Amino acid sequence: MDSAMTIILTGFDLLLSATLLWLAWQLLRSTDIFKAIIFFICFGLLMAIAWVRMHAPDVALAEAAIGAGLTGPLFLAALRKMERKQKKERRFDPEEKRDNPDKRWQVRSREASPLMWIVAALTLCFAGLLIRTVWIIPRPLPGLAQQTAAHLGASGVDNAVTAVLLNFRGYDTMLEVMVLLLGAITIWSITHAPFPPRLPDTSPVQKSAVRLLLPLICLTGGYLVWQGAYQTGGAFQGGAVLSAALVLLLISDFLWLPDMHSLPLRMGMVLGPLVFLSMAVLGIITENALLRFPPEQAGAFLLFLEAACAISIGLSLAAFFAGGRPASDLREKPYQTDQPDTEKEGS
Amino acid sequence: MVSAESWIAVPVVVPLAAALLSFLVRRGSLFISLAAAIINVLAAAILVNQFFVSGPAQYAVGGWDPPLGISLRTDGPALIMLVLTGLTGVAISLYAWGYFSFRIDQPARAGRPEKQERFFWPLWMLQLTGLNGLFLSGDIFNIYVTLELIGVSAAGLAALSGKSASITAALRYLLVSLLGSMSYLLGVVFLYKTYGVLDLGLLQKMAGPTPGVIAALAVMSVGLLLKTAIFPMHFWLPPAHANALAPVSAILSGLVVKGSFFLLFRLWFDIFSPALPHTAFSLMGALGAGAILWGGIQALRQQRLKLLIAYSTISQLGYLLIAFPLAFTGGNSQTWSAVLFMASGHACAKIAMFMSAGTIMLHLGHDRIRELAGIRAYLPVTAFAYAAAGVNLMGLPPSGGFIGKWMMLIASLSTHQWLWALVLLAGSFLAVAYVFRVVEQLFVIPPDAPFIERHPRAGLLEWPALILALISLLMGLIAPYPLRLLDTGMAPQVVQVIGG
Amino acid sequence: MTNMLYSFTGLILFVFGLFALISCPHPLRKILGGNVMSTGIFLFLVATSYRTDTASIDPVPQAMVLTGIVVSVSITAVALVLATRLQQSANRAMNRREKKNEGGAAEG
Repeated sequence: MDSAMTIILTGFDLLLSATLLWLAWQLLRSTDIFKAIIFFICFGLLMAIAWVRMHAPDVALAEAAIGAGLTGPLFLAALRKMERKQKKERRFDPEEKRDNPDKRWQVRSREASPLMWIVAALTLCFAGLLIRTVWIIPRPLPGLAQQTAAHLGASGVDNAVTAVLLNFRGYDTMLEVMVLLLGAITIWSITHAPFPPRLPDTSPVQKSAVRLLLPLICLTGGYLVWQGAYQTGGAFQGGAVLSAALVLLLISDFLWLPDMHSLPLRMGMVLGPLVFLSMAVLGIITENALLRFPPEQAGAFLLFLEAACAISIGLSLAAFFAGGRPASDLREKPYQTDQPDTEKEGS
Repeated sequence: MVSAESWIAVPVVVPLAAALLSFLVRRGSLFISLAAAIINVLAAAILVNQFFVSGPAQYAVGGWDPPLGISLRTDGPALIMLVLTGLTGVAISLYAWGYFSFRIDQPARAGRPEKQERFFWPLWMLQLTGLNGLFLSGDIFNIYVTLELIGVSAAGLAALSGKSASITAALRYLLVSLLGSMSYLLGVVFLYKTYGVLDLGLLQKMAGPTPGVIAALAVMSVGLLLKTAIFPMHFWLPPAHANALAPVSAILSGLVVKGSFFLLFRLWFDIFSPALPHTAFSLMGALGAGAILWGGIQALRQQRLKLLIAYSTISQLGYLLIAFPLAFTGGNSQTWSAVLFMASGHACAKIAMFMSAGTIMLHLGHDRIRELAGIRAYLPVTAFAYAAAGVNLMGLPPSGGFIGKWMMLIASLSTHQWLWALVLLAGSFLAVAYVFRVVEQLFVIPPDAPFIERHPRAGLLEWPALILALISLLMGLIAPYPLRLLDTGMAPQVVQVIGG
Repeated sequence: MTNMLYSFTGLILFVFGLFALISCPHPLRKILGGNVMSTGIFLFLVATSYRTDTASIDPVPQAMVLTGIVVSVSITAVALVLATRLQQSANRAMNRREKKNEGGAAEG
C-alpha cells in the first residue's frame, strides 16, 4: 500500500473516531432527550461505517439494521409513550424535566454536584488505567484466525463469521436466540401492546406504499439469509430486515393487526429456537455430540436453521417494537373502582 | 446410540425445551415445567455418579474442541451447584404450583394471577437454563451469554407482580445487571486480547500475573460483585427481592445471586489464583466483613418480614467472601470447599424462608413482623420450616451453616487472623438476633389470636419449604459426601497453591 | 496503529456510557448510556482482530459482537418497556391527583 493511501486512511480513522466520541458526548450530555435519541441514531450509523472500516461487514449490517435501525425507533416509541397525554404539551420539550410529572428523575441543576465531579474523576482514572493496560499488552495480539480458517471447509459454509456463529460456536448462538425470545416473553409479561395505536390516521399514500414495499422487504430479508452462507448476511441481518416489514405494518394502522390472536405469533416466535434445539438434540442422537452437524449436509442444515431463526428473530424484534402482548391476550379485568396502583395484593 | 457423556447437555437442553413449550402451549405449562425440573435433578444425579466413577469430564459441543469450539465441563464445584439447583428447582416448582393455585382461587384482581402464572413458567425455566448453563460452561464468552440469560429472566420474574414498586425494582435490577455483565464482558475482551482463547481450561494453563489478566480480573470481579449484591453494591437487592412474588423471591435470593458468586469463585480459585496477589484476597474479605455487619444490622431494623430476609441475604453473602482470604492463607485446603458448601446451605435455607414468608403473606395478607403472632396455630409446618432455616443462618449444629462457619473459624484461628474470627462471631450473633425476632412471634400464640382458615392446597406451600429447611438443617450430617465431591474436583495445581 | 486508535475509542466510549449510566437520573438516558457502553466494548473487541489484509482477519470477535448486539437489543427493549410502564403509572397517579384537586376546587 502506498504512503498516500495510508495517510488518507489514518486521517479518516482519526476523523471517524473523533466524530464518534463527539456524538457520544452529545447524546449523553444534551439537555433534550429527543435530540439525544437522534444523536444515538446518527451514532449507530457512523458505527456501521466504523465496522466496515474494521473489515467487519456482517457486524456493520447488523449494527445498521439493529443498532441504529431498530434501537433508535424503540427509544423514540418509548419516549412517545412516556409523555403525558392529558395536557396538550408540546411533544418534545427542551427541558428534560417536563417529561417527568412526578419530578422523580428531574435534573437537579445544570451545575454538577461535587459527587458528580468525584464520579467523573474516578471514571477518568479508570479510562486512563484501561488505556494504559491496552498500551502495554504485548503485540501482535493472538487470535483464532488460523484455527477457524483450517476448519472452515468442514463447517458447511464459506463465510467465516457464519461458520463461527452457527457451527463452531453454535451453542452461544442457540442461547443468544433464547435471550432474544426471553426479551419478547418478558415484554409480553409486563404489559399489553398499546393498541389501537395512538397515531393519527394514516394517509392512503403510506398504506399503499407499505403494500408495495412489504414483498420487497421480505425478499431482501430472505436473500440476506440465503446469502449468509457465502458472503455478508445471515439470520440476524435477515431477521432484522423482516422485522422492519412488520414494524411498517404496525405503524401503518392495518385493521386486522389489533385483533391478532397470540397463538400464531407465539408459534412464529418459538419456531426458530425450537428448530435450533431440535437440531442440537439431533446432533446428540446421530452424531454423538450436542449441535454437531454431519459435515456433508451441514450447509443444508445451517440454511434451514437460519431461515427458521430469521422468522423468529423478525417476530421477536417486532414484538420489542410493539411493546407488549396482543391486546386480547390474557386480559386483566379492569378495576371496579379507581384504585391506586399500589394496591395490596397478597404479595 | 446416545453416549453416556451426553448427559451433560441435559440440564441445559431440558429446561430450555420446557421453556419453549410452556410459552407455546399455556395450558399444561405447569406439568411441562415440573417434569423438566424432575428430569433435571435426575440428570444431575447421573452426572455426579459419572463423576465419582471417572472423574472430571469435558465435553466438546458440536464436536469442535477448544479453542475453536465451546466446551462443557463437570467438576466438583459445578456439580454441587447443579445438584443444589436441581433439588431447589423441584421444590420451587412445587411451591409455585401451590402458590398460583392459591392466588387464582382468591384473586385480588381478576385475571392477574392467571397472567402471572402463564409467564412465570417460561421465565423460570429459562432462568434454570441460564443457571445450569453457567455452572457447566467452560468458555468465558458463553458464560457471558448465560449471565445475560439469568439477568433478563430475573428482571422479568421480579417485575411479574405488576406493582409499581416491583417494576421500579426490576428496572433498577436490570440496569445493575447490565452494568455487571458489561463489566464482565470487558474482562473477557482483555483476556482474549492477551491470550487469544476463551476456554477456561486453556486460560488456566496460560494465566500469569500479566497486566491484561490483572485488568480483566479487576473489571470482571467488580461486575460480578455488583451482580452478587456484595456490600457496598447491594443497594438494588432488598427492593427487588422483597417486592417480588414469593416463588420469585426464593429464586432470586437463593439461586440467582449464587450464580454470579459461583463464577467469581471459579475465576478466583480455579483459574486465576496463581495470578493474584494476597492483598486482593484481603480486600474481598474486608468487603465480606462489611456485608456481614451492615446486612445484619439492617435486618434487625426492618419492619417487614420479606425485607428482613432480603437483608439477611446480604449478610450471609458476606460470609462467602470472608472465606477468600482464609482459603488463600489458611493452610487448610478444605477452607475453600467450605465456601460452596455454605453457599448451598444458605440457598436451601433462604429459599425455605422466602417460601414460608410467602405462605404467611398469602394467609394473612401482610408481612408486618409485629403482627405475625400466632402463626403456629394454623401453619405449624411453615413456622417450623422458618425456624429450621433460621438455625442454618445462625450457624448452629448440625446445620450446613455450622460446618461452613466452623471450618472458617478454625482456619482463621490457626493462621492467627483474629479479625476475621471476630467478624464471623459477630455475624452469628446478629443472625441469632434477627432470626429470633421473627421466631418468637411465630411461636407465641396470643389468647385473642384470630382464626384463619387454611387453604386446601396449603400443603403444596408448606412441605417444599420444610424439606428444604430440613436439608439445610441436616446438611452437616451428610457433609463428608459433598465435601468429597468438592475435593476430588479440585485441580491439583490450585490445591498446591492454596495449601502451600 | 488503526488497531490501537479504535481500541482507545472503544474504551473511551465505554467510559462515557458508564458515566452516564451511573450519573444520569433519567431512565432513558441510562439506557442510552448502557447502549453506548456496549458499543464501546464491541469496538474494542473487533479492533483486536483488525489486520490490513482481509484474509488473516479473526472472525471469532466478529461473531461475538453479533451475539452481543442481539443480546443488547433485547435488554434495551425490556428496559424501555419497564421504564415506560413505570412512567405511565406515575402519569396516571398524577392525573388522578389532579382530577381530585379540580373536583375539590369545583365543590369548594
